Amino acid sequence: MKTSELSPGATGLRSPGEGFGKHALLICALLSAALAASVIGVVGLEAVRFLAQVPPSRFFGEFTWAPLAEEAGFGVLPLLVGTAQIASGATFLALPVGVLTAVFLQYYAGGRSAFFLNGALTMLSSVPAVVYGYFALNFVTPAIRNIWPGVQGFNGISACLVVGLMILPTIAVLSRDALAAVPRSLLEEGVALGATRARVLLRVVTPAASLGILGAVVLAMARAAGETMIVTLAAGNPTGPTWNPLDGVRTLTTFLAQESMGDIPAGTIGYGACFAVAAVLFLLTYTMHALGRALVSRGYPGSSGTVRQ
Amino acid sequence: MAVGDLAHGPIRTVGTIAATVTVTALLLLTVALLVEARGVLGVRFFLDPPSRVAELGGVGPALTGSLWLTFLVTLFAVPVGVGTAVYLTDYAPPNRTARVLGSVLANLAGVPSIVYGMAGLALFARGLGLGPSILAGALTLSALAIPMIVANCRNALDAVPDEIRWAAFSLGATRWQVVCHQVLPAAAPGIVAGCCTALLRVVGAAAPLLILGAVSFTTFAPGSPTDPLTALPTQIFAWAARPQEGFLALAAGASVGLLLLMALMHLVLYALRRSQWGESR
Repeated sequence: MKTSELSPGATGLRSPGEGFGKHALLICALLSAALAASVIGVVGLEAVRFLAQVPPSRFFGEFTWAPLAEEAGFGVLPLLVGTAQIASGATFLALPVGVLTAVFLQYYAGGRSAFFLNGALTMLSSVPAVVYGYFALNFVTPAIRNIWPGVQGFNGISACLVVGLMILPTIAVLSRDALAAVPRSLLEEGVALGATRARVLLRVVTPAASLGILGAVVLAMARAAGETMIVTLAAGNPTGPTWNPLDGVRTLTTFLAQESMGDIPAGTIGYGACFAVAAVLFLLTYTMHALGRALVSRGYPGSSGTVRQ
Repeated sequence: MAVGDLAHGPIRTVGTIAATVTVTALLLLTVALLVEARGVLGVRFFLDPPSRVAELGGVGPALTGSLWLTFLVTLFAVPVGVGTAVYLTDYAPPNRTARVLGSVLANLAGVPSIVYGMAGLALFARGLGLGPSILAGALTLSALAIPMIVANCRNALDAVPDEIRWAAFSLGATRWQVVCHQVLPAAAPGIVAGCCTALLRVVGAAAPLLILGAVSFTTFAPGSPTDPLTALPTQIFAWAARPQEGFLALAAGASVGLLLLMALMHLVLYALRRSQWGESR
């Protein structure tokens, strides 16, 4: 129960700083609210302005995206496809490694290996995206091309691998929390009933933690969908839509990064197009994050559902 | 922790493999950066401005820019973020408005940094007429940091047992006394760690600064918040995309600098958690 619900505020107790503290905190909350409203407002407003010029039927229905070309195409679908390719590829790679790392950490790691593994996950989660991007372009891509010379210099595989590495800590840490929330008595009952060790993990623990793990995956996927620098550096920004992950990939985020460097003047159709793409990206990641949080908080009752960043 | 009978078997094997892959990936990343950066790391590199000649290039202005940004974002975002978190956990009336604000802020923490870059471009660089300045960058990064700080600090504050609050109230403490003398001290380690993690994430962000129009070739270090925006992550980006070997070494050198800083901060946080400060509360 929140203490504000059993507030003694009505008792009229006063102490020095009481009124100041209350008002200062309220101002902080109002500032945060104003900031949130302006971020959502300005992106939404510019996007709506754009959709007044370019009908939604074109924005969601066309298959080419070239807002600045002579023969302009305003279909956001190719960008969405690129984003989906990167996000699903990265999640596909990170999911098994992340969940199994969580299982190892929760059930098998001793004091020392847990220390090093936790340290590695912490570092992996705080490496800046641009450093990952450097690693993807100048280390992973040459390594892939050594093995497989047909791969382009800018390619989706390298981007997926490194974005997968970036979201690995999110999956591992949140899955470990979900596993830790499974009551120990469940495990002991399984063992007492004569189930083998592997069977207890697969049939008892995994189903009990599945919602939390699913939440972890959705949150990780949302991060992958919003990743900009790794994909810009590793996958380039090809003009046409591509279906081959061995070639470059163009996503919602790389379009924004690439166009913005051209310094588009305000009020032009290109400026509006950038905000429309930003709004799509906002809606996508916001929804996925909300869904992921809901799953995570269902996954272990009693937690607040807020996510450690 | 090993659960007695679970200690062996095929799952242990695959789990160990996965954990090894995780650690190996981090080692590969670190070694690749160190090997590439071996020739450039030195005092000169962290002081000199970038140059057309790779061998003479340095990160002086970019480093100064990043220090400015860290300072200003700490100044703007930490008080507002922590204050909002305290308000939401201990002060807000249990009504719809507070719930909506809490959940919108929590979800905004999941919105990618480049969207904040677009909003910052429209609001601060063009709306307020700040242009691509350090100040516009700091405000944009603050907008990015506040939802993260709020989420991290709410976790820390929620972890303080309500019994502590009830006990203090029942002894006649006012709400402000409960917050200042009981809740904040108990949550302090989590709040500090939460703020640092968010600041690190934000200071390493390149995408929003690129959108604002950060410069990567400037010969003088920014001396005031109105000077042109330059920062380490955008400098790394500018060098990383160039094909010449010399510039790649510079990008790697700057990356190593950033990573050392992060490792150091995590060690300090870890030591704090292990110390009496973390334990005794």
